[in-house]
Amino acid sequence: MDLAKVKDEDKLNLCRKYYIGGFAFLPFLWFVNSVWFFREAFLKPEYQQQKQIKTYVIRSMIGTAIWIAIITTWVVLFQTNRVAWGITADKISFLIPKGIP
Amino acid sequence: DTLLYGAKHVIMLFVPVSLCMAVVVATISSVTFYTEKGGYLVYTPFHDGDKADADTGTKVWQSVANALILLGVICVMTIVLLLLYKFRCYKVIHGWLIASSLMLLFLFSYIYLGVVLQAYNVAMDYITVALLMWNFGVVGMICIHWKGPLFLQQAYLIVISALMALVFIKYLPDWTTWVVLGVMVIWDLVAVLCPKGPLRILVETAQERNEPIFPALIYSSTMIWSVVGMADDGSDKKKKKKKKSKKKPEAATAEPDRVEEELDGGFLEERPTRQLSQSTEETARAVRAARVLGDTENGQRTNSPRNPTREEEEEEEEEERGVKLGLGDFIFYGVLVGKASSNGDWNTTLACFVAILIGLCFTLLLLAIFRKALPALPISITFGLIFNFTTSLLVQPFADRLSASQVYI
Repeated sequence: MDLAKVKDEDKLNLCRKYYIGGFAFLPFLWFVNSVWFFREAFLKPEYQQQKQIKTYVIRSMIGTAIWIAIITTWVVLFQTNRVAWGITADKISFLIPKGIP
Repeated sequence: DTLLYGAKHVIMLFVPVSLCMAVVVATISSVTFYTEKGGYLVYTPFHDGDKADADTGTKVWQSVANALILLGVICVMTIVLLLLYKFRCYKVIHGWLIASSLMLLFLFSYIYLGVVLQAYNVAMDYITVALLMWNFGVVGMICIHWKGPLFLQQAYLIVISALMALVFIKYLPDWTTWVVLGVMVIWDLVAVLCPKGPLRILVETAQERNEPIFPALIYSSTMIWSVVGMADDGSDKKKKKKKKSKKKPEAATAEPDRVEEELDGGFLEERPTRQLSQSTEETARAVRAARVLGDTENGQRTNSPRNPTREEEEEEEEEERGVKLGLGDFIFYGVLVGKASSNGDWNTTLACFVAILIGLCFTLLLLAIFRKALPALPISITFGLIFNFTTSLLVQPFADRLSASQVYI
């Protein structure tokens, strides 16, 4: 899709749909939303729907940041404590590496 | 008589094809899963040739038989698709496409993730995996079937083509793969160029109806900008149909069929038959013709609506001519190069890689001259096969001897 050829209301619609979709545990969608509409929201000259697009993009960026924080904490926690946790860690492990840790 | 395509378009296709092949080769060389023989598709019932003590005769007749069976299945699937399209059963087709891309995006990439993690011995928990797969899959579905940034759509198409190629490399017996590639070349030529060829009929029907042909399964190098039903649309945008080298991965559409027939959807190593990937592949193969909807046709259709709405369309007058390549072609290029690299030899791999790119150049050249839908497989795959066998039989021992005796050319 080329945003340059899309009408303004459609752009707003798309941005909003991506924003709402991101609430379904989809930080990637929020990330894509913020990157894709970044230029539209901040670097283009003013047009009618831009204010709303801007709010959606900012909220998507915040959402992405929050999720990245959550994911990083969890992954670090898991990787460092996997051996220590014993049975529980094994149960939630998708892959248990071979060899001696 | 200027050419419709220039170097820019060739490069626009080189990048995705090379990326796809690079991913396949990288995976094959680092992960052994895809080169272990764990099971076979139900469509290739003759696989005694893979046992160590098989003689050449057995291998040959078995590969040919397998390839012909596959060809038959593909013919049938193509015709089914054509009939569905002719009788406007769009819902069925769309459902088929969605189900198959669902499977590709979730199931196959889940397996891929598991296998890669295993190869690098990295621990991972279910929660992270679930989140990753969910994000990857859903965003993929959105980008491919709905609206999304072009770059992301291209990236996803490359990824699923590579996944599909890997599945093929795993589940086809060795010699059968090569024979299948050869057979596909012939099928592609016939299906696209003959007047009664199913793929050609499909393209022509789509052109008559002024519709894009399954845009979800075609790699487009620039934006698709088509408006169906331009007559009633208020802002009458031009329908710019790009030159399509259309190879629809109809295999992908056939996949869902098989999914229903599979009793348990488990994709575990111990299962003897893999019907899932096959259907995807058929769909891919079935619509593997490179179609170029000529600029002339494009011009005819766009000229008429252009006049009444000249003012608002003036900024859109510059047509972006992009090239479209069907995903089936990506898949088969990947299969060729992946199979070549699975023998462990980099010379052959590079030779096949170069051969495919050269073939692609030629195909685009022909496309620019003929301005019609063209099959993209024949030239590339022929070159690839020739280069593969000559390199492995002639060049490789030569290079080995040279480096063994420390003679540098």
